[in-house]
Amino acid sequence: MIAMLAKLLKALNSDSAPGQIALAFALGLITGLTPLLSLHNALIVLIACIVRINFGAFMLATLFFSGLAYLLDPAAIVVGELLLSYPGAQAFFTELYQSDFWRATRFNNTLVLGSLVIALLAFIPLLLISRALIIAYRHKLMAWVETLKITKALKASKFYKVYQALAE
Amino acid sequence: MKQWIRWSGLLGFIVITAILVLAWLFAVGPIIKYSIESFGSKAAKAKVEVADVSLTFDPFGIEISGVQVADADNPMENVIQFERAVADIDVFPLLLGKGIVNQLTLTGVAFATPRDISGALAASEVNADGQTDNTDASSDADGRSVNDTHQSSRQASPQALPSADELLAREPLLTEQRGREFEKSLNTIKTDSDSALAALPSSEDFAAYEDEFNRLTSARFDSLQDFQQRKKEFERLKKRIKEDQKAIKHAQTVLSQGRDSIKQQWSVLQDSPEQDFNQLKSKYQLDGAGVANLSRLMFGDTVGEWAEEGLHWYEKIRPFLISDSVDEDTANGVALAEKQRQEGRFVHFASDRPLPDLLIKKVQLAVNLPQNKGQVAINVYDITHQQRVTNKPIRLVAVGENLNGMRALSVKGTLDYRGDIGQERFDLIVQELQVTNYNVGAMGLILNQSQVDVAGQAQLTAGELDAKVKAEFSQASFTSKDNTQLAKEMVLALKKIDRFNINASAKGELISPKVEIGSDLDQKLNSAFNQRVKDKQKELEQQLKRKLNDKLLSYAGSYKEQLNGMGLADESLANQQGKLKNLAKTELSSFEDQQKAEAQQKLDAKREAEKAKAKAAADKKRKQLEKDAKEKFKRLF
Repeated sequence: MIAMLAKLLKALNSDSAPGQIALAFALGLITGLTPLLSLHNALIVLIACIVRINFGAFMLATLFFSGLAYLLDPAAIVVGELLLSYPGAQAFFTELYQSDFWRATRFNNTLVLGSLVIALLAFIPLLLISRALIIAYRHKLMAWVETLKITKALKASKFYKVYQALAE
Repeated sequence: MKQWIRWSGLLGFIVITAILVLAWLFAVGPIIKYSIESFGSKAAKAKVEVADVSLTFDPFGIEISGVQVADADNPMENVIQFERAVADIDVFPLLLGKGIVNQLTLTGVAFATPRDISGALAASEVNADGQTDNTDASSDADGRSVNDTHQSSRQASPQALPSADELLAREPLLTEQRGREFEKSLNTIKTDSDSALAALPSSEDFAAYEDEFNRLTSARFDSLQDFQQRKKEFERLKKRIKEDQKAIKHAQTVLSQGRDSIKQQWSVLQDSPEQDFNQLKSKYQLDGAGVANLSRLMFGDTVGEWAEEGLHWYEKIRPFLISDSVDEDTANGVALAEKQRQEGRFVHFASDRPLPDLLIKKVQLAVNLPQNKGQVAINVYDITHQQRVTNKPIRLVAVGENLNGMRALSVKGTLDYRGDIGQERFDLIVQELQVTNYNVGAMGLILNQSQVDVAGQAQLTAGELDAKVKAEFSQASFTSKDNTQLAKEMVLALKKIDRFNINASAKGELISPKVEIGSDLDQKLNSAFNQRVKDKQKELEQQLKRKLNDKLLSYAGSYKEQLNGMGLADESLANQQGKLKNLAKTELSSFEDQQKAEAQQKLDAKREAEKAKAKAAADKKRKQLEKDAKEKFKRLF
């Protein structure tokens, strides 16, 4: 966990493009909010592997949003229920239901569909916001943070040694 | 763009995925093998063994070889075994935890094969099921005892006609029972009547009474004292006569009552031979109606065995087919409370491909018929324990192939558990089945050969069975190994019958249906047999009647003598009673009366003398007058 957090800080402080870190957060949002053992998450993991994103940030985001999912699940179920019972979409869903592949994605599960829709809706905003935040962090916050006593204390701690080791 | 693609990541993903897939491929065989053996053993309550399980990839599926399912009731025997089972499985439903088998092909299927080692489960494994096993065992034992009872009852049942003497010696007869009672009663009455008769006055006593009466009444009283003396004697005599009269009356009553009782019992005894004869006649089937049970005798056991076998397999298969009745969503709902994270629910849409937890779309197997009679290719469609999901019943189609000894065999069945009430239906068609040397089991009869067409339907609704089977026999030929007259007559009667039908039906609860077997053979045989055995039957009936009458007469001999004796005695008693009454009426005259009588006697004698004298004088005068008249007449001419 410490190593993962260190990696994140390293990434934040490195030359990595803010978009790569932001994309890792956004992908982690999907794997975190939706049930992990779903077919679409295999695709997300594949994307996370292929696309040059910060994997530590992806993992951390997955963990973070999995925790958040406990709170969001009831809302996700309601959303999924509404979507799956929406009369206008019945033909579409019925069509998908005829395919073994789509049924293997468990799209007809209220939690899977609801949480995936919420995650996809939040994907772009999270991507943009997190990217903006990373840029802001690097330009303003990082310099200010360096002046803080707590930062100086941290630099003297074991955590910082790990961070340094990883940075090298 | 290049800085956004990480090819090493793709390689890592492929490697990790490949490792996971390979691990799954290596593990899945043993996991499936363990699952089949573990869950199968629990379900079958006996060992289920699998030699090997491997995966196939074109198409994707599994191959299971060397499967043996032991018989819980007979651990040294397999209920079923097969050499190889190949299942073609849909991949994507597996990701949903659904086992959808497109086709399951079984080869080398054999039933009831012997095992080298016992197939019984260890005690700990059967602990929970022990009662069931014991129950089964006891029910088997019961079954055997029922069979034994049935067998013994059949052995005891009169299928061969014994001789009249054997019948009479074997059976408790009313004639004998009532005859013995009659004899006993007769002896009692005889003793009573003998003692009553012994108390009666003898003929010497009667003569003495008469002499005494004569002496007392005819001799002249010499004096008043003489009269008084004789009067005393006379009174004593009358007293003795009255006592004798009472004894005679008592004897008459005893004889009368005895005679009535004997007559009544005799009447009942006389009816006994007829009643015995009728009872023997019905029990030993001396008439055609008895022979009409032949169809039940012939095929009752076979139908029973088939039904038992069918029920045995039905009970074994049924638990695998009935739905858990726990709805998938309900199950999920229960799970919700247990899981930390909610799982949502699955919304199902209309589909021609619904996915239950387990579905075998088609099972294909071939079973060899016994005695090299060919094969039966069996196809079973849509096997699942969740028919409400598939909305399809299980269908079974079995067709005979390369048949030897029959032209066609076909079984079609549906097992429908979609509704609240399960419904199963089977149709059976057998064409031109050659039956040879079929042991009928009655009167040593053997159906040497016949050609049979069978059509049957069975329907089971909510545990209620309604089954009908019609078998049309043609070119039938019977013989009998028994030498009894009845068997010979039966064979002769059956020779006249070429075609006949057997109709069997079973209705009621599956475990104890009411089985009925009827046939036009009964009617045909009834009339043919009646014709054949009529003479023999008459002869036997006459013999029986004669012997029963002989028995009756053996009791009747003493009866008639005694009855005659009692009649004579009654008549004699009436005479004696009459004589005694006359004697008793006699009164002794008084001495005064005697004097008066003597005076009257003298007066009467005098009157008689005078009357005679007057008559003589009148006659003399009349003769004189006649003489005078004649003289005068002569003078006139």
